Amino acid sequence: MTALLEVNDVTKRFGGLTAVKGVTFKLQKGEITGVLGPNGAGKTTLFNMLTGFMQPTAGTVTFNGEPLKNLAPYQVVNRGMARTFQLCRPFVGMNLLENVVVACLSPRANSDKDKEDRAQHLLEQVGLGGRGSEPVETPPYGDLRRLEIARALATRPDLLLLDEPFAGLGSSEIEPLAQLIKKLHREEHLTILLIEHKLREFMALVSRVIAMNFGEVIAIGPPEEIVKNPKVIEAYIGKTEDAHASA
Amino acid sequence: MLQILIYGAVSSAIYAMLAVGFTLIFGVARILNLAHGSFYALGAYAAYVLTSVLNFPLFIAAPLAVLFVALFGVVMERFLVRPLRSSQLAVLMITLAVSLAVEQALFIIFGSEYRNVPSFVAEKLTIGGVDIGGQRLLALVMGVLVLLLLWLFIQRTRLGAAILAVSQDPEAAQYMGIPTNRIFSIVMAISAGTAALAGVLVSPFLTVQPTMGLLPMVKAFAIVIVGGLGSIPGSIIASLILGYSETIVAYLISTSWTELVSLVAVVITLMIRPSGILGRRAAF
Amino acid sequence: MKRISWIDIAGGIVVVAILALAPVFAASNYLTGVLTVCVIYGIWASSWDFMSGLTGRENFGHSLFIGAGAYTAGFMATIWFTNPWYSIPASIVVAVTFSLIVGFPTLRLRGPYFALAMLSASAILQRLCLIFWEYTGGEEGLYGLDPMMRSPLHYYWFVLAILVVTVIILTLLARSHWGLLLRAIRGDEATCQAAGINVTFYKIAALAISAAFAGLGGALYAHYQLQVSPPLFSVVTSITVIIMCYVGGIGSIYGAAIAAILLTLLTEMLRGFGEYRLWIYTLTLILILFFLPNGMVAPFWRRLTERFR
Repeated sequence: MTALLEVNDVTKRFGGLTAVKGVTFKLQKGEITGVLGPNGAGKTTLFNMLTGFMQPTAGTVTFNGEPLKNLAPYQVVNRGMARTFQLCRPFVGMNLLENVVVACLSPRANSDKDKEDRAQHLLEQVGLGGRGSEPVETPPYGDLRRLEIARALATRPDLLLLDEPFAGLGSSEIEPLAQLIKKLHREEHLTILLIEHKLREFMALVSRVIAMNFGEVIAIGPPEEIVKNPKVIEAYIGKTEDAHASA
Repeated sequence: MLQILIYGAVSSAIYAMLAVGFTLIFGVARILNLAHGSFYALGAYAAYVLTSVLNFPLFIAAPLAVLFVALFGVVMERFLVRPLRSSQLAVLMITLAVSLAVEQALFIIFGSEYRNVPSFVAEKLTIGGVDIGGQRLLALVMGVLVLLLLWLFIQRTRLGAAILAVSQDPEAAQYMGIPTNRIFSIVMAISAGTAALAGVLVSPFLTVQPTMGLLPMVKAFAIVIVGGLGSIPGSIIASLILGYSETIVAYLISTSWTELVSLVAVVITLMIRPSGILGRRAAF
Repeated sequence: MKRISWIDIAGGIVVVAILALAPVFAASNYLTGVLTVCVIYGIWASSWDFMSGLTGRENFGHSLFIGAGAYTAGFMATIWFTNPWYSIPASIVVAVTFSLIVGFPTLRLRGPYFALAMLSASAILQRLCLIFWEYTGGEEGLYGLDPMMRSPLHYYWFVLAILVVTVIILTLLARSHWGLLLRAIRGDEATCQAAGINVTFYKIAALAISAAFAGLGGALYAHYQLQVSPPLFSVVTSITVIIMCYVGGIGSIYGAAIAAILLTLLTEMLRGFGEYRLWIYTLTLILILFFLPNGMVAPFWRRLTERFR
């Protein structure tokens, strides 16, 4: 079965700095896969390259059997790959409904139905039902995350990329969001790739982990194995001797 | 050929003085100061007033003129620009408004006839067979000197280091105890002062009239875009490029095409390499 | 689409009625002339507000489109001697063409850079007019255009009608999903991209629409003044239009149109002050930037009609 997403030897160099090096992996339809790694490991750069916000210096990305080359981000979205951002940046000056309507106006999202109706439905799906007329400046960060997801869903994606969805959330907001992600994965038959730091929620959600450090993939496997992988542990905590010394 | 070389150098030096001040205040305070040309004009007019009306000798009038304009710049920044800093475009508009107001005020007070400012150096010199007014040479020399001093000041003094810090990250600089607002004022004073000095130096041989600040402003802006906003070396390189291009165009084609040079240079730069030759931040 | 409240429509009708009837009651050709210019500025201002007010990409070279439309009318009248009415479609086509040529490379630039790139473009055209004076008439420009109608009053009503159509079209667009997209572009372009929107297309389309109306206004102006000259391309023209939009309340469109009319009237009334005119104007701008950053006309109208919404 052809993979939904094939990433082959993708590399990104910024002048002298190599942010991402030789990353290779495949995503099958319906998986929830996670990307794990300390800060600066190149995770967001990888996302940017998958979604057209940056072009790889080398390597290829193939999505749904077609190569993604020199595409603008909006074109990638219209092929079926949507993303959320680490820092929520909603459209200020508008309300929640209008924020989602914008995404409903993209070519891929095009539906015969009234765009506002569809946006309402999406808001309900993410748990923000009935709050469409609230200005986007007022809700708490957790709700803005849900709004981002609604916005991404509006484009009917096959693959959803979530960049640190739990970042900046209080403890009471994390579990509901994890439930929402699981629910959407089921209901919308989404394939999901997510970056996250918070190990506990992460491990519970994903079926496979891609571990990165210094721009390279250091391990790929199910969560239970990754957690025990010495290279991964070294990346997060340092060599075992140092861990003992500082303990 | 030598003529082009020398006259080109004079143009470049004057433009460089203007451009450096402009790029400095942008690099440090992110202010696109459209009133920069007014500083130039005010410098020339101040020199005129001090010498022809108040009869001060030149070597007193010149520094006084520069000081006056520097003060004007500081006041403008403090009271008109700083409150609007949140919007870069509001800053653009208000500095534009100031430049229009200054131009109109000069027009009202002095009328549109050209004014005369006596030269510092009256003699003409001959270099390699090329006649050149002493005043023009003085402008060239002073220009180079001022730029050198400015460069040394920023690189070697503590105040200069503070300025560099603020230009990289105003908030971080503040946390480290650097009085950012005072730095803005100082940089504005330097910026306005160099523009005024340029005005004072050219006033004997260029026409002094209310709109004299407009064209140099366009050129300074062009230089800064081509050289890279915020980069002093970039401005110097671009001044040379544009100064010489203009002189060559003036000789080979005609003087009315010279203004096109800077404008076209801007458009080309923005289309091909928006961050300019040495600019750190891209235009997008 | 955001519904337009009845009070706005009523207000609009009242304003248009006053504007249409004023010169009739005053029985003054002078007033007709002044109001014609006022209304044309209204067209220019509302066209700027549509693009720059909504997307936040402030265009400092709007005079490029104004001049393009005006000079098109000028060339057609003085060189090809065509019927003045053909100036209208021609000026629109030329202005839109300019917007496409200039828009493509410049719209990807951030805020101040786009503003200044457009400013440079209009300055270049002004320079070119002077350099190629044999074709363009240089400083004096082209003169001897024919008026479109014999009666200045009828022409005024015609231009007023065009202003009304302009404001209606632009307002409908602004309140539609188009306008929503433009405002989203102002909010965050990256998020727009992530929402699958072709940002560049919408920016250029907005600029083209803005240019079309600006050029149209330029042609109307040319056939009123019966001459065209380089100052039409100048920075001052662009800035004047921007000031009108600020006073009107950025993004409101009707605010820009009304502010344009009021400010042009004000300039006319200040003629008595002679040299101080521009100075007072500039001081007004400074005051407005400081105390009324949201403008005067639109906020005032909104507060006045709060109870009726």
